[in-house]
Amino acid sequence: MSTHVSETKIVRGACPQDCPDTCAFLYHVEDGKLVEVTGDPDHPMTRGGLCVKLKNFAEHHYNPDRLLHPMKRVGPKGSGQYERISWDEALETIRSKWTKIIEEYGSKAIMPHAYLGHQGTLNGLTSGDAFFNRLGSTIAEKTYCESGSSTAWIMTVGPTGGLDVESLAYSKYIIVWGMNMLNTNLHAWPFILEAREKGAKVVVIDPVRTRTAKQADWHIPIKPGTDGALALGMMNVIIGEKIYDEDYVAKYTLGFDELAARAAEFPPERVSEITGIPAEDIRTLAREYATTQPSAIRQGVAVERSPGGGDAIRLITMLPALTGAWRHVGGGTVEMPIWEFPFNFDFMCRPDWIRSDARVVNELDLGAALTGALELDPPIKSLFVYNSNPVSQAPNASQIVEGLKREDLFTVTSELFLTDTAKYSDIVLPAAMQGEQYDLMVTWGHLYVMLNQPAIDPPGECVSNVELFRRLAETMGFNDEHFRLSEDEMLMGSYDWSAPAMEGITLEKLKERGWMRLNVGMPDERAPHAEGEFKTPSGKCEFASSAAANGDFVVGVWRSGYEGSQPGTPVDAVPNYIPPEESPEVNPELGERFPLNLLSPKPHAFLNTQYGNEKTQQLRQGEQMIVINPDDASSRGISSGSYVHVFNDRGSFEAVAQVSDDVLAGMIVTNVGHWPGLNRTGTAVNSTTAPRHANLGQAGAYSDNLVEVRAA
Amino acid sequence: MPHIVTDNCQGCRFTDCVTHCPVECFHGDDERLYIDPEVCIDCSACIPACPVQAIHDVIDMPDEYLPWVEINAEKAQILPVVKTKQDPLPTSEARREELGF
Repeated sequence: MSTHVSETKIVRGACPQDCPDTCAFLYHVEDGKLVEVTGDPDHPMTRGGLCVKLKNFAEHHYNPDRLLHPMKRVGPKGSGQYERISWDEALETIRSKWTKIIEEYGSKAIMPHAYLGHQGTLNGLTSGDAFFNRLGSTIAEKTYCESGSSTAWIMTVGPTGGLDVESLAYSKYIIVWGMNMLNTNLHAWPFILEAREKGAKVVVIDPVRTRTAKQADWHIPIKPGTDGALALGMMNVIIGEKIYDEDYVAKYTLGFDELAARAAEFPPERVSEITGIPAEDIRTLAREYATTQPSAIRQGVAVERSPGGGDAIRLITMLPALTGAWRHVGGGTVEMPIWEFPFNFDFMCRPDWIRSDARVVNELDLGAALTGALELDPPIKSLFVYNSNPVSQAPNASQIVEGLKREDLFTVTSELFLTDTAKYSDIVLPAAMQGEQYDLMVTWGHLYVMLNQPAIDPPGECVSNVELFRRLAETMGFNDEHFRLSEDEMLMGSYDWSAPAMEGITLEKLKERGWMRLNVGMPDERAPHAEGEFKTPSGKCEFASSAAANGDFVVGVWRSGYEGSQPGTPVDAVPNYIPPEESPEVNPELGERFPLNLLSPKPHAFLNTQYGNEKTQQLRQGEQMIVINPDDASSRGISSGSYVHVFNDRGSFEAVAQVSDDVLAGMIVTNVGHWPGLNRTGTAVNSTTAPRHANLGQAGAYSDNLVEVRAA
Repeated sequence: MPHIVTDNCQGCRFTDCVTHCPVECFHGDDERLYIDPEVCIDCSACIPACPVQAIHDVIDMPDEYLPWVEINAEKAQILPVVKTKQDPLPTSEARREELGF
């Protein structure tokens, strides 16, 4: 980053990354070149600063490894040997391969794979949904992140935005539960500091003493996957000592008696056994949380990544209704305020095109889907990857690689770089980067509508996803008007611009200003559930969920708008503590062979794998590392700075050890996001993770992972 | 890989930087500021705020500043956090001129 801001053309934009902060960008353009990207000082969240991940964002556009032209594979799968071809040849190859597959196996033999590698309305998560629904492909259930929390949230409070993260400035007691905010929600931290300046106490619940935990007034280390038990233990104390808000509970909640009965099963002593937290600390936490109003909980996505993650999120989401915290400005809980945005998902995803015999395959089961373990009929004969990198990010990576090596699998990837996934593709298509494309960002961590305008032209033959799917639609002979819409027409259709939340907000104004706040109340006055008004069927916070009767479900946005073929697995009307599957206590036999619980949170200097190929970011992040407790290290003869081999039956990777009591004994921590191909063994943490789903929303249970470590 | 404050801050103490820091990582005495490397999250928001270019990212700074890494780490441990902007030192304008900014 240069230290001087140049006299240049400024274009307003927004960060494309899958992060709750969605920062407001100022693109600095000089003679047609993007020279710097800075944060908008006027944006209330961005406040002029970006984050470590985005520091070299302008240069990232000019990374010499960018894919600039379509290519076809000329060596073995995985070898990375490619030859430039024209867009015409690439599209004709796709057309002829897909036509043959559809004739022989039907269109369900084609599976898309996408996630939030880009977070725009036009080019993001749902950018290919309309095309693939029209094609009749397998429907990819995209549950990498937040799906479990979404299901849990909707079951409990309905599709409400909940507590505005900016309102944390008015809280008196703040629990950050399972989130390393300084890494993954940096721009919300100043609101917490503002609250603390006014006397608020900040508590962090996290198995790891993260950089956020180190800043807390009180860090409570908890055994991974036991958050639901802690929430029930808090309820046990709050209900038992009658420090709940009886009036609020009577008026605005459903199923208190059933919840009280469940909580009665979880006295602090029992919860202490499960969570590893001293019983007296559980009592203190419960009392302080209930009686220091307004109290707030900032929930992290980490909580969902265990077998009982869904019920844990439900329980945590119930706490502010039990205590009446919702009555106050700054009271309640922050999960994902995305529900305040009036999306028109039916327009974006075109579920009306989904056929009656549609099939759903979950993306986290990709390895099993590709290798035949799922016994799919028809089998997956073609995979189309965009906005995602499953070899690095999906669980059980070795099985995915095995599947991608199939000679009879036709794989196409649209990418910025030749990633660990792209290098197994038959055809690679060059994608545009954020500074080169137009989009309205999908924001899931604050309440601003953010427009990104292109600052420069895409290099070479790179195209946005909008243009990619226009070309694919034309190639496949789809003459539907949907694929001829302009970008503005698509944006106009993708939102209900006449909704009260959008009053006064127009594309024209956004083009001028870059961002505008939704009309949902200001942070210093907003108390959305002061008088109930939850978005559930009962209008109440549902301790006993009316949606539970139909079993588990994945919210439509994560599955191309499709409502059929839901998982439907049984769900308790009143949530319970569901223990981890991989823990020495629950599975002593497995624990004997693999005694350490491995967690793999997000990296500091990368955004998942993005920027993991940038030299300066690699220096900032350091190489793949594990943090291990001194007891576990000494018993294995491991010292700081030495390489270790981390393994289980699913796979292995190597990392540098850092011996520290920042982690509890019995667990180790590494980061996801290091490119497997750039690591010593060509593998990374997801070679060890299980393709297991949490109890709700088909979320990945990445934290439910036992391994062993030895000196390499 | 944190950021550091160099001796350009000495005699200036403009403290514009602290208003840009999202994590309150600046500490200071009456003379100047230091960055706590345990708290700094490498965002660089403070760098353009300093009128005398006293702040550097350790990863791309001249080697001559290397001794400041340890000095910042040590001083940050013993000095109080500076959260709000304060008046620059009386010598600040002369020092800025001397430094050529």
